[in-house]
Amino acid sequence: MHNAFKTLLTLLHVPRYRRIAVGIGILYLVLFLIALRDITLGGSGVQFASVEWTRMFSATGPFTFEAIARLTLPGVTVLIAPMNILVGSALSLLAALNLMVTYVAYNQPSACRFNRSTGVLASLPALLAGGACCAPAIVLILGLQVSSLFITAFQVLIPVAALLLLVTLKLILDRTDPERLTLVDA
Amino acid sequence: MIRVPRTLFASAVGLILGGGLYLALHLTTAWTASSPLDPVLPTADTPYMLSDGIADYTDFMMSGGPPPDGIPSIDAPNFVDGSSARLDDGDMVIGFVHEGDARTYPQNILVHHEIVNDEVGGLPVAVTYCPLTATSQGFKRGDTTLGVSGQLLNSNLVMFDRDTESYFSQIAATGLTGDHAGNALDEVNLIWTTWGEWRAQHPDTKVLSDDTGHMRNYSNDPYGRYNPRGGYYSAREVIFPLMHESDAHHPKEMVVGARTAEASVYVVLDDLKTQRVQQIGSFVAVYDADFTTAHIYRGDVLPEITPLEDNRYEIDGETYAPNALPLDALVSIEAFFFAWHAFYPNSATV
Repeated sequence: MHNAFKTLLTLLHVPRYRRIAVGIGILYLVLFLIALRDITLGGSGVQFASVEWTRMFSATGPFTFEAIARLTLPGVTVLIAPMNILVGSALSLLAALNLMVTYVAYNQPSACRFNRSTGVLASLPALLAGGACCAPAIVLILGLQVSSLFITAFQVLIPVAALLLLVTLKLILDRTDPERLTLVDA
Repeated sequence: MIRVPRTLFASAVGLILGGGLYLALHLTTAWTASSPLDPVLPTADTPYMLSDGIADYTDFMMSGGPPPDGIPSIDAPNFVDGSSARLDDGDMVIGFVHEGDARTYPQNILVHHEIVNDEVGGLPVAVTYCPLTATSQGFKRGDTTLGVSGQLLNSNLVMFDRDTESYFSQIAATGLTGDHAGNALDEVNLIWTTWGEWRAQHPDTKVLSDDTGHMRNYSNDPYGRYNPRGGYYSAREVIFPLMHESDAHHPKEMVVGARTAEASVYVVLDDLKTQRVQQIGSFVAVYDADFTTAHIYRGDVLPEITPLEDNRYEIDGETYAPNALPLDALVSIEAFFFAWHAFYPNSATV
């Protein structure tokens, strides 16, 4: 674990890798909020509405929560659910670190001895989480019929995704040799 | 000494604090909800016929994903005048009239809430809508309110009453669990129609406002669209398992059904539109062109019913509106065919 953190800190000292991590993190958070339907198409004019903040803890699904504000813009509506943003930020941080290390592996294969698709694959499950409450889009596309098992799997998707991201991050960092990294900012 | 990145540490602390607050709030809610009240939900004197046992229903009932109240009902509805409603003539709405008080519940709002606990013409009612089965049904609710349980039976809404926390099937209108298991809810007739048709007949209608007290994007339907029909609402796919399936019609064909204590019937709306009157044993369905819907009646001896011009029907030399025939009127429910069949596989039809 010590070595993994050391490698991570070493990589984060490089501004280029930090920028990549921040960029991926923001993009991942936006995708997560789209999957949760907190960002949706549709809306006209510019409006802002809110309700009492205590509603932010009311669950709308497994590990998903109520919005307490709504920003309507032309063509898009953003629901502001602080707990979803908090959960999404934690997942985005883990996904960003996974993908940043994967990026390093592509550029410096000699320093990294892991399958480079690992981090990318680990980042995908959390983006399916929004399907837990209203799965029709993915179900219609895949032509699936939802079973109890499917729903149960979706209900634990977010914690499983977080665990998966943590484990893969540890794995790929352990297989990255900080001594062989070229840490020059491009 | 290992230094943990500050952002990682802050996120972990945030998650732990957030989780703690969430648990605390849930425990408080569970404790408050356990306070018993006197039973106040009106039920029907005679139960509806069921094709399967209550135990079969509860065994087949499954989670749709959200927890109870995860899809929040509207418990303090606001209304606007028809002139300020942001609806197109072709948009689907649910209409209800009681004691001259006409209300409109737009589908684009109901798809996000499924239940409105309202009081119309002095009558407390729960207006309920299940997007997966296209069923809108109204129930007298007395002094309690109904909520969305998050469970589904045959892809259809399962509700609960906040007095006894019994679960109810929407289409069967029957209690599945708790104190009300086996009891039928006391139903009122709702109309599933378009805004243009409803407004033409009820120009003074009040329209449910999108100021619901909940933050949702009411211009976005998570399942599809009705104007024109598309997505889930026209696809052959049905998302959740069904107790009974049939290829007799397209799964999303609109049918109108009714049931009594002994029997159930349905008609295909498009067929009835052409024929205007269809008799099925001691039941008769008449088409209502004002709302593109049907009304089903029952009678031991059914009279000759002759369709006339202007959406009128003649019986024994008298003319009547389709919703006012001098027969025993039943609650008529519009539904996707697959849903009606899943609950009433032996339903009679023409």
